[in-house]
Amino acid sequence: MAERKVIGKPVRKVDGIPLATGQPVFTLDVDLPGAAVGKVLHSPHAHAEIVRIDTSRAEELPGVLCVLHHGNVPRIPYTTAGQGWPEPSPYDSFLFDRKVRFVGDRVAAVAAESEEIADEALRLIEVEYRVLPAVLDPEGATAPGAPVIHDEEDARGIHDPQRNIAAAIDIRVGEIERGFSESDVVVETTCEFPYVQHVPLEPHCVIAYLDEEDRLVIRTSTQVPFHVRRIVARALGLPLSRIRVIKPRIGGGFGTKQEIILEDVAAALALRTRRPVVMKYTREEEFVAARTRHPMKVRVKLGAKKDGKLHAIEMDVLSNTGAYGTHSLTVLSNVGSKTLPLYNKAPHIWFHGKAVYTNLPVAGAYRGYGATQGYFALEVAIDELAEKLGIDPLELRLKNHIRAGETSPIFEKIGEGREGKAQVIRSCALEECIREGAKRIGWSEKRGKRLRDGPWVHGVGMAIAMQGSGITDIDMGAATIMMNEDGTFRLLVGATDLGTGSDTILAQIAAETLGVPVEAISVYSSDTDFTPFDTGAYASSTTYVSGNAVLLAARKVREEILRVASGILGEPPGELELRDGRVVSTRTGKGVPFAEVGHRAMYVTDQRHIIASASFVPPESPPPFAAFFAEVAVDVETGRVRVVKFVGVADCGTPIHPRLAEGQLEGAIVQGIGHALYEEMLLSKRGGVRNPNLFDYRIPTAADVPDIEVVLIPSEEPTGPYGAKSIAEVGINGPAPAIANAIYDAVGVRLYRIPFTPDRVLSGICSPAVLK
Amino acid sequence: MAIKRYHYARDVEEALSLLLAYEGRGALVAGGVDVARGLPGEIEGLIDITAAGLSGISREGGRLVVGATATLEGIRTSREVKAYMGGFLSEVMGHVATLSLRNMATLGGAVVSAHPWADIPTALIALGAEAVWRNEERTERAPVEELYARPFRAIFRRAVLTEIRLPAWDGAFAFEKLSRNAGDIALVNCACGLGLDAEGKIAWARVAVGATPYRAERLVAVEELLAGEVPSEALWEEAGHRAAAEARVGDDMRASAEWRRAVIPVIVRRALERAGRAVMGDR
Amino acid sequence: MMKIYFELNGEPVYTEIKPGEMLLDLLRRLGMKSVKEGCRTGECGACTVLLDGKPIRSCLTFAAKAKGHRITTLEGLGTPEDPHPLQEAFLEAGAVQCGFCTPGMILVAYHLLSHNPDPSPDEVRAAISGNLCRCTGYVKIVDAVLTAARWKREGKWRKER
Ligand SMILES: Cc1cc2nc3c(=O)[nH]c(=O)nc-3n(C[C@H](O)[C@H](O)[C@H](O)COP(=O)(O)OP(=O)(O)OC[C@H]3O[C@@H](n4cnc5c(N)ncnc54)[C@H](O)[C@@H]3O)c2cc1C
Ligand code: FES
Ligand code: FES
Repeated sequence: MAERKVIGKPVRKVDGIPLATGQPVFTLDVDLPGAAVGKVLHSPHAHAEIVRIDTSRAEELPGVLCVLHHGNVPRIPYTTAGQGWPEPSPYDSFLFDRKVRFVGDRVAAVAAESEEIADEALRLIEVEYRVLPAVLDPEGATAPGAPVIHDEEDARGIHDPQRNIAAAIDIRVGEIERGFSESDVVVETTCEFPYVQHVPLEPHCVIAYLDEEDRLVIRTSTQVPFHVRRIVARALGLPLSRIRVIKPRIGGGFGTKQEIILEDVAAALALRTRRPVVMKYTREEEFVAARTRHPMKVRVKLGAKKDGKLHAIEMDVLSNTGAYGTHSLTVLSNVGSKTLPLYNKAPHIWFHGKAVYTNLPVAGAYRGYGATQGYFALEVAIDELAEKLGIDPLELRLKNHIRAGETSPIFEKIGEGREGKAQVIRSCALEECIREGAKRIGWSEKRGKRLRDGPWVHGVGMAIAMQGSGITDIDMGAATIMMNEDGTFRLLVGATDLGTGSDTILAQIAAETLGVPVEAISVYSSDTDFTPFDTGAYASSTTYVSGNAVLLAARKVREEILRVASGILGEPPGELELRDGRVVSTRTGKGVPFAEVGHRAMYVTDQRHIIASASFVPPESPPPFAAFFAEVAVDVETGRVRVVKFVGVADCGTPIHPRLAEGQLEGAIVQGIGHALYEEMLLSKRGGVRNPNLFDYRIPTAADVPDIEVVLIPSEEPTGPYGAKSIAEVGINGPAPAIANAIYDAVGVRLYRIPFTPDRVLSGICSPAVLK
Repeated sequence: MAIKRYHYARDVEEALSLLLAYEGRGALVAGGVDVARGLPGEIEGLIDITAAGLSGISREGGRLVVGATATLEGIRTSREVKAYMGGFLSEVMGHVATLSLRNMATLGGAVVSAHPWADIPTALIALGAEAVWRNEERTERAPVEELYARPFRAIFRRAVLTEIRLPAWDGAFAFEKLSRNAGDIALVNCACGLGLDAEGKIAWARVAVGATPYRAERLVAVEELLAGEVPSEALWEEAGHRAAAEARVGDDMRASAEWRRAVIPVIVRRALERAGRAVMGDR
Repeated sequence: MMKIYFELNGEPVYTEIKPGEMLLDLLRRLGMKSVKEGCRTGECGACTVLLDGKPIRSCLTFAAKAKGHRITTLEGLGTPEDPHPLQEAFLEAGAVQCGFCTPGMILVAYHLLSHNPDPSPDEVRAAISGNLCRCTGYVKIVDAVLTAARWKREGKWRKER
């Protein structure tokens, strides 16, 4: 392997300076002259029919430009999920509907000269509702006689609308009953994930306007610009070619911006008023009417032989997709598809479940995408199994986890809303990750010791996890690289940097391949008019999928450079190589700078632009692996839990930019700690969110997470660009189970529902079973 | 927001006359943190009182006098406050919100807003703080504890709180707060103080519990239980349990009544323990 | 409408404001787009600016309160051509992911280092704990502030504005 000059180096983030100096680079940082403000009227009811809507008083208010509602827009079913094609989520949403299905659902929207006027206009819209019985409990959603949430005839792709089942899955490998009866030890655990939210610091926001050619421009905080274009075109019945979507810098996404939340309305308002329309959600709207993680109940049953070999795994999922089925099938699939292959030794597997509609907030994509909920149950169950077997949970995991060269039948059985594709693991450093993490946390010294410090009792717990790198045969990334006459390059990618640093990583891949420093590559990304296609930033795809596209494009450009240089140097391309911004003869050592190559190609001989594009569709999705270790302290008198130390060790293949990769892992871990200890959207009896603010929906602060240690153990993924796999999601899968297991180690209380609040922990400690 | 004017009152008289002139459509603004978060629609005029000369902090003998518009961070870092009761009030301020809020929020705002979940009322009630305010007729004063038993919001629609006076105590106080994470409000809090007589018995005790989720209250029965006793672990324990029995406790979305009842003994015990240690350390 | 005078990043400003306007909106209107809105209720810290050198939340501060005072936003600390050492340190440490929390974070860090040039990691955590970041997990932000502090002690902050 040649020495790498840019890959693996902590180069400066290509968008770093503008971000660190506060330049106006976010969606709402531009002021468009004549911009109007758009606002949404949200439903106060969980389930109701709109009997009458009277907008005349609102429309008469001076400064109101237009009011949209179901009565004055076309009715076209679509999904708000920004996913590939064919779209796996049901078409169960409309720009506006005659029915509202959760507290916060869209009733109408206004455009006005100012925010104050828009707010006043919302108050003046008169809506008469016929309130319908609501489904406020996923368990009851499928019961006979339960209200039908999607009774509209024009919805499509719903698994069983009459029973409120948005999606269902049933996958069998081997014979599960035999598996359990042959097992020496069986454990069964049900874990519950409540409503939690992404909380990107920047709420959803968008500016929509018509440009000088009367094309609709949507400048939006999104993870999926190309899907926004396709979905808005469908929802508004516009030709795709008339829409341009631009993603500037965005203030975090984590999945909630893999969704069309405001773009469709903003576009409709801009078209109707022919004015630029600015829309943004307040933090409260973000909680009430954006997206959440799918709340789930996951039951895991494990059977094992005496020696600890897993023999049978059943996973049964009840997922609550809320009022709309966005991502319902794919998140549900991922609960199993991203977890079960980790323990590939078990010959008998049954994975089944359903995603049900309720009249509650709408769930969608969230970092981890189902795997997070699955791992919580699976990794707590593994801990219980280890206890029952009398084996160290670390040893039990080592005995059973997948290794390089192995496969799992699950890869073939479950894909993106359809069958999957067989795949062999080509790189896996999980064992090293486990051993390294154990060392750093002090596993053998601390486990089972219940070290005490006043009322604080310490314990350690662990979990392991994997994810994927993009979606096999569905994701697609494309890149264009062109050479400027001064020997620098322009890299155009559809890929979407959410703050993850992907623009930088893609520039590194191009730079390495072209033998130049990163500074010689300028990146432009995520503009549907000017960059090639990309499915977007989700499913841990960008480094692997878009990175491979950049690699291919860079190789093509390299060929062209060699051809031109060969003319200059009079040597065959095979004798030349790219090094430090020059083409150098390996024979004579003579060289020519890129600037000369670029200049000659553009202006002198055989004139043409050195430019190349390439696309990449992943034929497989190599999983990154990670091991997580938590040391917690539990105040046995109050039930408060502190994470004293958290170690995350991951194999993401070759880290292209180790510091950015670590940042992904650290960020994901702290989000996971937030889920484990603090976060939960509380719902009222009427289905509304009771804590739609950061005052009562607590997310971790710097003072809550003192000691996070992350380590990257490189492996070389042969199919990845320079050996890379993904890192963005896997980190969020570990904290909940690792902390649950650590609490058990500390105080003997098994917690099956997050968050582990003082209330829950203390009632566990005070329960007769624990006090003994 | 229908705000038509923003006034900068130069002194208490001006603030008061503006407030009265608005007849309910004006609001005093100190730090403005709470005013900004929940401005009633009928308010038309805002009267900023931060330049009305009410920000002073001074010692009068053992007593501490804090102006209504002293900021919470100003209080936390004040030398006078650090010298008062072993820095107890400074410690309490350290538990309140976060620096960039404390730089704006004022003590007067906290007293008048009197959020049930807040920490400051708990501390002030335990300390026996006295509020001083000016209304149309005169200057009035009352212990904060008594004030809260009156319709105090109505009072301050027509009056300006000018200062909080904190008495000198021969003894020590300690504060405990349980919350979900850093920077959070209290799920329950308590402030306890005690002093010893020449024989080492408890001469006086003050115990207040707040965020239960109701506004802070003094638990006189617990104070009586402590008075005259010799400090001991067992006594703190007993006082804690008594506090849990006495306190009015309820459910809210932040915590259950059951949990609050279970932890009040713990925080009261911990506060008494610390206060006790501080008093004995003084000797 | 009312007119107020104040100093913004060292420059005098004499401007019209609405009497009920928030400082956050005024500053963004004046082009200081580094001042971010994350919640408008005082909980996230994205809108942090310095008033007479002290961090405050501009979303809960009436614009009228700026009258006669010094306001500093991130724009006043450094520019793309001449970034402040703290900005350099944030980039070097990898403390900037999406960058939405960064302006507020750097300003509270700046304030911390102005009166405590040698903070412990815990002091840094406490100082930034009122500013939420959902991307980084804070690890690299703490590193960045410690690095900047070291540079400051080593005299590498040169010409401060
Ligand atoms: C995010 C957040 C977190 C918080 N966390 C905590 C916490 O952990 N612990 C805690 O104890 N508190 C906490 N608080 C509450 C905080 O202490 C108060 O909000 C703050 O002190 C109010 O002060 P202010 O000067 O901004 O009040 P303002 O908003 O200026 O005023 C509040 C009310 O009092 C009136 N008023 C103000 N001054 C006077 C006066 N002199 N005379 C008569 N009326 C007056 C106003 O008209 C208004 O009605 C928190 C608040 C927020 C926003
Ligand atoms: S926007 Fe001001 S604190 Fe969040
Ligand atoms: S970097 Fe995104 S919120 Fe901090």
